Amino acid sequence: MPNQILTTKLHIPPRMPKEVLRNDLIDKLNRGVNTKLTLISASAGFGKSTILSQWINTCNKPVAWISLDEEHGDVSHFLIYLIAALQTIIPNLGAGFLAALQSPQPPSPVSVLTFLINGISLLKDKIILVMDDYHLVDSSEVDKAFNFLIENLPEQIHLVLATREDPVFPLAKLRVRGQLNEIRVADLRFTPRETTAFFNKEMKLNLSKDVILILETRTEGWIAGLQLAAISIQGHKDIKGFIKSFSGNHRFVLDYLVEEVLRQQSDDIQNFLLQIAIMDRFCGSICDAVIQSSTVSGQETLKFIERANLFVIPLDDERKWFRFHHLFAELLRQRLNKSEDIDIPTLHKRASLWFEENNFEIEAFKHAAAANDIDRAEILIGGKGMPLFFRGEIAPIYKWLKSLPDSTLKNRPSLILIYSIILTFLGKGRDAELKLLAAEIDILDNKDLIGQIAAIRAMLAIPQNDTEKILIQSILALENLNEDNLAVRTITKWTLGLAYQNRGDRALAIRMFSEVIPISKSSGNIMATIAAATSLGQVQESQNQLFQAKDTYKSILDEIGDPPWPAVCEANLGLARIYYQWNDLDKALKFGELGLTLALQLENIDTPVSCWIFLAQLKLSQKDNTGAATLLSKAEQYLISHNLMFRMNDVAAAQVLILIHLGNFSEAIYLIEKYNLPKSRLRLYITQGNFSKAIELVNTLLKEIEGKEWHIERLQLLIFQALALYGDGQKDKSFQLIKELLPLAESSENIRVFIDESELMSSLLSYTLFRGLTSNFIKKLKMAFDSKDQKNPNQFLMDPLSRRELEVLELINQGLSNGEICEKLFLALDTVKGHNRKIFNKLGVNNRTMAISKARSIHILKFQ
Amino acid sequence: MSNKSKNYQIRITGHLDDDWSDWFGNMKISLENNGDTIVSGPVVDQAALHGLLRKIRDLGMPLISVNQIKKQVEV
Repeated sequence: MPNQILTTKLHIPPRMPKEVLRNDLIDKLNRGVNTKLTLISASAGFGKSTILSQWINTCNKPVAWISLDEEHGDVSHFLIYLIAALQTIIPNLGAGFLAALQSPQPPSPVSVLTFLINGISLLKDKIILVMDDYHLVDSSEVDKAFNFLIENLPEQIHLVLATREDPVFPLAKLRVRGQLNEIRVADLRFTPRETTAFFNKEMKLNLSKDVILILETRTEGWIAGLQLAAISIQGHKDIKGFIKSFSGNHRFVLDYLVEEVLRQQSDDIQNFLLQIAIMDRFCGSICDAVIQSSTVSGQETLKFIERANLFVIPLDDERKWFRFHHLFAELLRQRLNKSEDIDIPTLHKRASLWFEENNFEIEAFKHAAAANDIDRAEILIGGKGMPLFFRGEIAPIYKWLKSLPDSTLKNRPSLILIYSIILTFLGKGRDAELKLLAAEIDILDNKDLIGQIAAIRAMLAIPQNDTEKILIQSILALENLNEDNLAVRTITKWTLGLAYQNRGDRALAIRMFSEVIPISKSSGNIMATIAAATSLGQVQESQNQLFQAKDTYKSILDEIGDPPWPAVCEANLGLARIYYQWNDLDKALKFGELGLTLALQLENIDTPVSCWIFLAQLKLSQKDNTGAATLLSKAEQYLISHNLMFRMNDVAAAQVLILIHLGNFSEAIYLIEKYNLPKSRLRLYITQGNFSKAIELVNTLLKEIEGKEWHIERLQLLIFQALALYGDGQKDKSFQLIKELLPLAESSENIRVFIDESELMSSLLSYTLFRGLTSNFIKKLKMAFDSKDQKNPNQFLMDPLSRRELEVLELINQGLSNGEICEKLFLALDTVKGHNRKIFNKLGVNNRTMAISKARSIHILKFQ
Repeated sequence: MSNKSKNYQIRITGHLDDDWSDWFGNMKISLENNGDTIVSGPVVDQAALHGLLRKIRDLGMPLISVNQIKKQVEV
């Protein structure tokens, strides 16, 4: 249920009547299109947006426009509007990211920007992207994103930034490279010629040269000042008197002129202007609702003030929505605040009601907050069935809650609860727990709230891997939550399922997850769907129901579509494991790498570690011990830096595998002892030929899982048992065992679980065939065994080609040009050229022809 | 709050009347003969100071100087 994008933010301001056409500046803007960035940096009221609107009307290029505001300081929010603006030129570009950016786990800015950059670089013609009011954003995250965009800007786009203060990214660097087109106050100030044209030609005031000079000196060419002066003069009978008093005092230009302008309006208009200044944008209907006057019509009055040039700017082509010029709005608000007859909170309350009735939920909330109507604001946060913070609108709510004094929060446990959910989303778990404690004091009689607190505690316990706590809090939550509190009940069933899964109660876990999926799907709660379906897939995997698990994971990927959300990283990793088990190593690599890329976009989770361990195992299966070790050391560093040491034994188990491959048994034993790794010990016994000890250990381990439906572990142990018996000379017993376990493996096509083992397994399989047990599955296993030892020629290179480089090489071989390769692989030209350079380096050649012949000679490419 | 605020003096071009005191968070407004306005008073911390400067920026008031006055005041 994504929130609306306000199209008024994407509207290019139209040219206004009575504007001086500024050809010099338009020329400068036209010339600047060949640089990367045009920066228009000047104080308020210097006509930044106006000159842009003039230029856009004449430049004959497609233009996307964003009017930024404070909320775009949230980088995901900024990216949503960036995508929406670009879509006005390139339909559907980045559409797949929109929902993900509103989820509590949004993708990283770099991944979104890279995708957009690639999309833009496919364009034939140049486009222009304007970001107005960049100073309002004030966020280092957005500055970083913008800097990345500038650094990687394709030549098909020119950026324009209008701002009241210079942005913090390195302008000097751009300036030196000649990539910056700058327009500053000195350029924007009206020249004497322009001032004359404005007063006499556009405004038709026929002022004398002397008068114009006085006005120009007094305003120093400040356009907002000149415009206000012109409007004042229009309404004045005594122009001379006005000029004399304006130039004869020191009052702040704008303050003086706004007062002049307001004084010339009727009381009704004055009141109207002051009262609607509480809104960032307004239409006739909301003006009626806020002002509630029997004599003034919103629609008519807006028309009047637009005609009177009272600084309203239309926000759409139909001239339905308007806003004030920022400067004028600021001065009106200053006057509103000191006026004693107007009750400002009441105005905000009326605005809030109108926005709510018209389904602008965020604005409704903001005006309720501005009215300091806490109850109403809280109800509005609750959304219509789906709370706003579940839809990515976290920043404004967090800002408001932070601003509330403790005395207000006290006695409002449900609001504190919202606060703690938001803190949880923001990764501030400790603060969230403190808030929960505060809430608890007051709610002993409210069962649903007790349930909600328990539900949040269960969620907070997940990253700590505290199974007991997840279990107890989830049960407590479900006992107390109202039956109709579906949103929280659903999430809690998922956390309960996780606890069951961690404890090994897999049937119960499957039941929970299967209950969650249809409910969350039908209520549009995509995050809960992903979470529950991912967990379900994992349980199915451990039950060795690989085909069902594959379908479950695939259904998640289908649900999300392309580009994938970071939250589907686990589903990709699950598919990678399944394809690995089926010995489809290419697919395993593809899903594994995608899983890793996505997982690294999320913070504070251990999935990247699982991905590295998996990819290390994959390297090991290709006999690349060094590559495997490198990946594992990455995993280890990540565990340390993210305080996830409970996963260390998984990394150690993978390290033991490498050590066994290398024959370094003493190191292997050290790790096995240190991290208590019974299965690794078992493998070591078998490799060392210590079969009697292996048999003893495997019997113990099998007994431990007796009675549990732990199919994948059981299968693995039975295979070890068969191997140990076979090695120990108990061939008949071993054969009987294989006969028993083969159907288990065959039903899910577990191939790698056999062929990851040593030569002994190959020999055991031969023996099985010899004893007359033939099936297609055994033959398949034998074949996989025979082909597994053929080394991939790419591995002969000192520095093997990456997957992407192999892909590019293959396309070069097919005779495609760099441009065609860009299109085919959806990459920027520079990226493809970069791949070419790396391929040439690794092959030790310096052109395409030599690369192809070298690659053929060492069998990386097949001869055709 | 018993925070030790620091006193600041902000000089801008153009006269503002006393009505603006509110808008500047109840700072004192005094007018100079040369047409400047001096806004002065306690400012809680750097963040508050920057907020004040931003307000001045948003009105397009030409800023001339910002000075800290050494004497500390209790709020």
